[in-house]
Amino acid sequence: MTGVEPRFDDLIHAPTRLSLVSLLTAAEWADFKFLREQTGLSDSALSKQLTTLEDAGYIDIRKSFVGKRPRTSARLTPAGRQAFAAHVAALQQIVARSGLEVTP
Amino acid sequence: MDPIDAELALAEVRARRDQVVTSTLVPSWFWPATGALMLLFVGAVESAVPWLVATGSVLYALGLSALILAVVRHSRVQVRNSLLGLRGALAIAAFTVGLVAAGLAVAFTLDAFGAPLPATLGCVPVALALAFGGPRLMAHLRRVMLSRPLADAR
Repeated sequence: MTGVEPRFDDLIHAPTRLSLVSLLTAAEWADFKFLREQTGLSDSALSKQLTTLEDAGYIDIRKSFVGKRPRTSARLTPAGRQAFAAHVAALQQIVARSGLEVTP
Repeated sequence: MDPIDAELALAEVRARRDQVVTSTLVPSWFWPATGALMLLFVGAVESAVPWLVATGSVLYALGLSALILAVVRHSRVQVRNSLLGLRGALAIAAFTVGLVAAGLAVAFTLDAFGAPLPATLGCVPVALALAFGGPRLMAHLRRVMLSRPLADAR
C-alpha cells in the first residue's frame, strides 16, 4: 500500500458496499447478475447500493446488449479505486497499530 | 474503530477478491474437451482422406467455437488485468510454448523413426498435458492473483 494515504471511508465501509467495492476492485467490470449472486442482495437493494456508489463518483454503471439481451455492468472509477485503496490502507493501519499481523 | 472489526473487514475484502478470481478461471471441462478436439482435428488432417479432412476441420472449428462461446457466455465478470500481471502472462506463455514444443518434438521424433501417424501420436501427449495441465495452470494463476496486494490505487 505504498504511496496511498490511509483514509477511512464511511461510505465504502457499510457492509454491503464494502462487499460490492471489494468485488469490483478485483474486476475490470462485473455484471449486475454476478454482483447480485455474490452478495445475495435483491435487485432493488443492489440497485440502491450501486446508485449510492455511483452518486459518490466511485463506480460507473454501463448498460449494453449481448445479442438481444440487455446487460448492466459496473466498474470502479479511478476515484473509487483511489478511495478504496485509501480505505484498505486505513484498515491495515488500524490492525497494525493494535499489534495484529497485517496481510498485504 | 476496533482492530478486530478492521481485520474482519479486510477478511471480507480478501474473500470477495477470491470470489472474483475463482469465477473467472477457465472451467476444468474446457481443457480435456480442447485436447480431444485437437486430437480429432490432427488425426483427420493426417489421414489425408479428403472427406475426413473436411469433416474434421468443420467439426474442429464448430467445436472450438462452441467451447469458447460457452466460456464467454458464462463469464459475468472480467478479472483485473493487473492481478494477472507479468508473472501470470509468462506462466500462460510458458504453458503454451511448452505444449507446442513437446508436440513437435514427439511428432518429429516419431516421423524420423518412420512411425505411422506421427502428428496424431505427437498430439496425444499434448492433449493429455492440456487435460491435466490446464487445471494446474488455473490453480497457479489463482495463487498468483491472490498474492497481489488487496487494493491498488491505479
